[in-house]
Parts: sequence; C-alpha cells; structure tokens
Amino acid sequence: MKNRFEKLLVMSVLLIGGFIVSIPFIWMILSSFKSEREARTMPPTFWPQEFTFEHYINLFQNLNFGTYFTNTLIIVLFAMLGLLFNTMAGYGFAKFQFKGKEAVFIAVLATMMIPAQVSMIPVYLLLNQMGLTNTMAGIILPGLIAAFNIFLIRQFMTTIPNDLIESARIDGAKEFRIFFQIIIPLSKPVLAVQAILTFVGAWNSFLWPLIVANDQALYTLSVGLALLQGQHSSSFALQMAGATVMVIPVLILFIFVQRYIVEGFNTTGIK
Amino acid sequence: MKFKKGLSMAAGVSLIVAAGCGNDNNAADGGNGEENNGGNNGETTTLSVWAMGEEGNALGSFVESFENEHENIEVNVQAIPWDNAHDSLLTAVASGDGPDVLQLGTTWVAEFAGAGAFLDLSDYEDDYDMINNDDFFEGALDTTYYNDAIYGVPWYVDTRVLFYRTDILEEHGYEEPPQNWEEMLEVSRELADRGDGMFGFDIDQNDQLVPPIFAWQNGWEFNEEEAEENFADPAFREAMDYYHTYFAEGLVQETEGVPIEQGFEEGSKPMFTSGPWMINIIRNEAPDIDGDWDVAMFPGNERNASAIGGSHLSVFAKTENPEEALEFISYMSEPETQIEWFKETNTLPARQSAWDDEELQQDEKLAVFGDQLEEAVAPPVLSQWENIAQDLLSSLERINRGGADLDEELDNFQQQAANRLD
Amino acid sequence: MNHKNALTPWLFIGPAVLLLIMFSLLPILVSLLISFTDIDLIGLGNWDMVEFVAFENFIALFQDPLFHRSIFNTLVYVSIGVPLVIICSLSVALMLNYMSNKLFSFFRVLFYVPSITNIVAIAVVWGFLYNMDVGLFNFIINSLGLQNVPWLEHPFMAKISLIILAVWKGIGINMLIYLAALQSIPRSFYEAADIDGANKFQKLRYITIPSLSYATFFVTVTTLIGWLQFFEEPFVMTGGGPLDGTMSMALFIYERGFQYNEFGYAAAASLILFIFIIVATLIQFTFNKSKEN
Repeated sequence: MKNRFEKLLVMSVLLIGGFIVSIPFIWMILSSFKSEREARTMPPTFWPQEFTFEHYINLFQNLNFGTYFTNTLIIVLFAMLGLLFNTMAGYGFAKFQFKGKEAVFIAVLATMMIPAQVSMIPVYLLLNQMGLTNTMAGIILPGLIAAFNIFLIRQFMTTIPNDLIESARIDGAKEFRIFFQIIIPLSKPVLAVQAILTFVGAWNSFLWPLIVANDQALYTLSVGLALLQGQHSSSFALQMAGATVMVIPVLILFIFVQRYIVEGFNTTGIK
Repeated sequence: MKFKKGLSMAAGVSLIVAAGCGNDNNAADGGNGEENNGGNNGETTTLSVWAMGEEGNALGSFVESFENEHENIEVNVQAIPWDNAHDSLLTAVASGDGPDVLQLGTTWVAEFAGAGAFLDLSDYEDDYDMINNDDFFEGALDTTYYNDAIYGVPWYVDTRVLFYRTDILEEHGYEEPPQNWEEMLEVSRELADRGDGMFGFDIDQNDQLVPPIFAWQNGWEFNEEEAEENFADPAFREAMDYYHTYFAEGLVQETEGVPIEQGFEEGSKPMFTSGPWMINIIRNEAPDIDGDWDVAMFPGNERNASAIGGSHLSVFAKTENPEEALEFISYMSEPETQIEWFKETNTLPARQSAWDDEELQQDEKLAVFGDQLEEAVAPPVLSQWENIAQDLLSSLERINRGGADLDEELDNFQQQAANRLD
Repeated sequence: MNHKNALTPWLFIGPAVLLLIMFSLLPILVSLLISFTDIDLIGLGNWDMVEFVAFENFIALFQDPLFHRSIFNTLVYVSIGVPLVIICSLSVALMLNYMSNKLFSFFRVLFYVPSITNIVAIAVVWGFLYNMDVGLFNFIINSLGLQNVPWLEHPFMAKISLIILAVWKGIGINMLIYLAALQSIPRSFYEAADIDGANKFQKLRYITIPSLSYATFFVTVTTLIGWLQFFEEPFVMTGGGPLDGTMSMALFIYERGFQYNEFGYAAAASLILFIFIIVATLIQFTFNKSKEN
C-alpha cells in the first residue's frame, strides 16, 4: 500500500540524516589510521592521507590487554545478572499491587536524581567498611542495579494484559514460572534494548574499577586506555584507536540484538 | 622466579583474574600480597606506589633496578590516569587506605598536606640526604614546604619558556627573540599586523599560571601575611594590564582557533609559551619547520620569571613502611636515577647536578629550560590558591571578552580573594 | 489483582531494592546530610574537624551569582532540549519502523552510533564543526554570504550549540525505546482503522501516539532527569564558559566538590538540584495518573 514517493522520501531522509549523525563516529574510526599529526589538523581531513597501523600496534604492545579484557568480561557477565534483577523488579512494580509500592518506586527513582560523583565518596567508604575495596565484588556491586532499567521494564510490562498472567495462575503455574515462561518471552523487544544498554555500560566501566582497585590487576580496558595519556601530551590518534577497539564488540552486539527490538511478533495483541 | 599465591579477593571469580594476570613488565604485581619465596633472608616488604598516567606505566618496569638493589623490598606500582588522580587521592584520604608512596603534583601539596594526607619528612631529615637537599631547584623545593613541615621530595620539574619562529622573526628584522615586555609587545604588534587571522603571540585563557607569571615578571611576590592586599600591589595590577593589552590590541587570538602546534607551524601564531613536553610534539608533528624555531627565556619586565611545575614523591601518612618508602624515594632522587628517568620519559630532572649529564647539556633547547628553571617561581603553597587563580581567570575573561573595567573588576577580584582567604 | 501470598512481589523487587538501598540510597542520604556541614578535604581525613553549620551553605548558595547562573542555564537546557529529544527520537523511530529490511537495519545502526561514540572523538569533531574561525558550520554559513556565528564563543549561542550536540547524542537510546514500544501496538488496531478508512495521519494521531504514551512517559521522565543533570557536554566542550554561559548545576556541583573540595557546599547544591528533579518528576507522575484515570 505504501506509495513509491513516500518510500523514497523516508529512505532519503534516513540516509542523509543517518549519515550526518554518524559522521563523528566514522571520523573516529578513520582517525585511528592517521598519523598523530594528521589527526590533529584543523580543519580535519576525512579520509587518511596515509594509512598507518602504528596506533593499533602500539595499543596492543603497551596495554596489558589480557588482564584488562578478562576483567571487563567478568564485569559484563555480572551486569547481565544485574539485568535479571532489574527485570524482576520492573515486573514486580508493573504487575503487583502491594502496600507502599508507590513510595518504594519513588525511592528507586530518587537514586537517579543525584549526580553520580556526589555519592562516590560515601559509596567508597561503605565498600571499605565492608572490606570490599580491591576486590572484584567491590567493583561490580555498586553498578549492578540501575533505576533507569527498572523503570523502563516497568513501563513496558504494564502493557502486558493481566488476563494472561491470571489465566496462568488459574492453571496453577508458579510465580517464577509465569515470569520466565510468559513474561520474559513477551518482553523481548525491551529486553533487547536493556541488554544493549547494560552491555555498553559494563563494557565501558571506568570509575569503580579505578577507585576501588588499588591493584592494576583489577583494571578494565577503559582504565587501561586512559593510562596511555601523559599529563601534557595526549596522543590523540592512539585514543581513537583505543576507542575503535572498544566499540567493535558493542557494534557487533547491537547488530545482532537489534532484530529482536523490531521483531514483528504480535502476541501482545491477544486479549 | 617469583610467583603469587592467592590474591586476597572476595569474589570467587577473582581466580580467573589472577589466572589472566600475566607477568608483563608493566603489569602490576600481586595485590597486597606480602609473600615472596625467592629465598631472601628475612621478610619482604611490598611497597605500594601510585604514579600517574603514562609516567606511571613507565615506572612499573623502571623500578626493577631498585628491586635488584633491595632484595627485601618489592615495589608494586599502580598507574592512575591523570584525569582521575584527584578522585583517587580523595578516596585514599577519606578512607585512610592509600599507597605507601605517591606521586604528587606540585599544585596539590597544600590541599592534601593540609588534610594530613602525608608524612612530615622533616623528622627524617637527618637520616636521609635527599630531604630538603639544596641540590634541587629552589622553586621545586619551595612547593615541598607547607606549614613549617616538609611533605615531599622533588621528582621531576617543568617550566614554561617562549617558543618562537626564528624565520618569521628574522623576516621582520628580529635576529634575536624578544628580551623583555617592551620587545614582546613590539614584536607581537609587528607580527599581528601581517594581516587577518595573523597573531603575534598566544595566551591560553584557561591557563591559571599565565597571570601570576606576568605578575612575577613584574617583580610581584605573593606574601602570605598580606593576604588580599597582594592583589592591590601596583606590580600586580600593571601585569594584569599587560595581560589585557594582548587581547585589547588583538595580538593574541581570543577565540578557540586552531591547535597551537598547528598555528605555530602555519605561522599564524609565531610565538607562544609552553613546557618541555612541547619540544617533542613540535619535532614530531611539524617536521617541516625543523630548524625554523627555537626556545628562549620567557621575557619579563623586572625579571624573566616563569612558573615551576612538576611532581614530588610523598609518603602517605598512614603508611606502615616509612623506612622502605624513604629508601625508594631516596633512590628515585639520586642524580643517576634522575638521568635514567629523563631518558625514559623525557621529564626534566629536579636535581640540578643531574643536569651535568651530557645528553642534557648538549641539547641546546633543553639548556634553555635549565636556565629558565633557575628563574622559575613556585605558585604559593596555599590551599585556597587554586580557587583564587580560577577567580582571577574569570575576572580577566570578563575584562577581555565581557568589556568590564580593568580596575573595577580587579577590585572585585581582590574582595573575592579576601573572602576566600579569611 | 489478587494474590494469595503478599510476599510474592517482594521476591521480585527484593534483590534490586536491597542493592539499591545499600549502594545508592544510603550514600545519597549521607551526602545530603553533609550539606549541613562545612566538610572539606581536611574534614574528610579527620571527622573531628567537621562542624554542623545548619543552613549556612544554603544561604551562601542563594548569594552565589555563579549558582544562579547555573540554575538559569540548566532551565534553558531543559526547556529547549527535552522537547527536542522527544520529538527527534520519536520521528526517527517512526521512520525506522516504516519498513523492516536490511537497509533499515543499517539505518538503525547509523542513528544509534552517536550514543556509543567516544567522548573525546565527540569533543574533537564537534569542536571542529563549531570552531568559529576554521569550523565547518561557519564555512557553510560564510559561503552563503552570511556572518560568522559565534557557536561556542558567545554565552547564549554556546548554550544552544551544546543543546544541539546533546540532542544528537541523546537520540540513539530513546529511539531504541520507541522502536521497542512500537512493536507492542497490536496490529488489529490498525486493521480496524483501515476498515474505517482512516488515513496515515489519523492513524498516527489516534492510534500510534496514544499507544506510545507509556513509553513517552518514560522517555520524558528520564530525559528530564538527565537534562537537569546536564554535565558532560559543557564539561568537555566549554568548561562552563564563555563568561559562565554554559555552566550547569551539575557542573557547578562537580567543580565545587571535586576541584575545590568544598564537599558541604557541593552537597547543598546537589540537594537543591535534587529538589528540582523530584518536584519535576512528581508533577509528571501526578499528571500521568490523572490522564490514565
């Protein structure tokens, strides 16, 4: 039914707009292949005059890649566990009535309302009291739960018809069975969004690995990259190479997961 | 061969970390682990050292020679990114859980020493030769004192000098770099006159050090007892007027423009001031102007003053190994070590006798830095200083860009400083 | 809904709420408490040196012209930026949802990448675009025969420039949320509308937008919270300048607290920011509820 003109219009708007918004990203990748001098030139060149891989070689030689990569993966792994807790909480807030629900939910949201740096020192002191500084647990725990994610899940799960859950209950299904076998499959699009956001956050985690660890063996990739900077001289092209290496897994995950976001299933239509 | 028995970590997964932690030269060794079964007699002490950024990374392997000399001390260097060093220090102060030795930027002495973060080294002065040794540049030593105590030993230094394009100055009839303010303004005016988009000099408006440098060049000295009255001193006011002149006459670029290295290479900004790190940047990034630029003392009025910066090594107040910590600092401050460190990282030795080294002597550009360091002044070691310097920059911005009256605005600034200092 | 067991909801929200109380709520309470003290770096190292100063920090804040500026600037950011982000991300999502083939998957990637572009790269590229003398924007404007625009060099213009940058950066995530939300609109709604002979805009107006209201609510609340804490853009692009024209409340808090170690003062400022945010959020919740009823 879509007429050709309309199709063409949408496509060209998307193509031009998409290209414009992604220029900095493309430029970031291209710059990682430029010489340091070229990467700094104003006005910048778009296409490298001379391709060089020196920054990548430099990166892998100077970065204790193995350790940092392992640490980063561990954090990502646990963030996915956090994702489960967030999803459960979002479901709890969306589909149950209980006393004090509103107040608890506002309290959850309140954790988003203060700039993160403000509570940095109290969190550190707390971890120190618990003996968790310089441990993986200390790095992982503070970032495990995010009010943003709970809120997002809650908003989406409110649209799931209650009848669906009720009839499952009547059939004698246990609460967690309902959650895992009915709710989760129905929430694929929003869970895919969540997975991407959680992965990006964990993959780039920087502040806590740095603050909590007093041992470089606990550093993540982002921290390792930041260490390649001198006080006055910043090697710009090297930073771009680092950023490019960091962004590749994110892109792969995004390309892989995005089809779940737009998967055209229509189960929620069942009434 | 050393090997680490378990790291003390809570999460079980940390075993994976330990397994994945290779023994690369610049990787950190062990956590707080003390054990070493290398067969030494006696206990081995692990000394934890914090150093920043790239320098911190380099220090990791650099300390091996120290470890070889001291079999019972193992040094565990933790590199911290520059941008986050302040946060890390804050948490260390808050929890009392910090390293034994740490690298300390000279501008941070007052703020952290005031909080009791460091050990007063004057108690150890008789036992360790490097403490308060006048072989260090005077300006560097000045920033180790705070409240009649000594809180650090200079490690490396830096200072600003004038970078200028010899070819462009020659074209306009200047065989020599400017020697004083008058000549600075004259050359700048001449060069800024070359046309649109051409400037004589360059001032980084976010650089807190430039205004006080100008004041020191004019013979101003900050005297703690006089508090805000320091800023009423005509020598200070005149220097701020000098600063403003560059903007009022369009001798420097007020907007962001191109990066300075590029402006220098293109010739649109033929003079600017910067530190020793800039030498290599220009050599590497602007090879086309090789031989067409040089460095000179920062031209002043009363004196050719500049600011001294760099880093000290300090001992954390709550350390359990003060002796070993001082042993390590002593090693790092030996002239030979300082020369090695210079070769490794290109940072300038704080110790004057290290400058006798051939490599430092032969490089004429570095020699200028050596001369400038002798005329370099340390910013006041005052916990409010950074605040005051930032206020001054804001005031100057209002004068240069907002069109505020110079004297009125500086009076306001003086009032602000009074509030900060009371 | 009825449940036999009142504990069930707590089984679901329990783990998350416990962790949040521990690592978010408690520290936030602590940092708000210190807004009534004069704690600085010395106090941080030695708690005996900390004194209770009641409302002194707040009184000082009300007299601090820089804080007033930062409130004004933040309100400008929010009132222009929030609606823009919502409109832009919804439009992009609607267009991206238009079809689902390979080409559109590619477009989705394109519109998402701003949110994963390294901040240093962002600062450099946008710094170039906005550069007054050699920047691309002014080059284009000049070639149209118009005057240079002082993108980052004029206090008000700089605010607008940062808003544009932040909108560009903020589209990605919200677009994903809208895309996910678009999937849960039952096809039957559109089929029914087709039978009634509704045109495209009527369907958009009467089916799509209302069906997305729960997602819009989420996007509005979180975007508003995010923009009231506007920080990264001025931090990397302007440092709050020129003439404090881009200083935001969050940047003010950061500078006071972490550059000058005035923790008590910064905490007082963050309490005020907190009040702004919670009032804005509660208004939205009330409004949303009355709409639902």
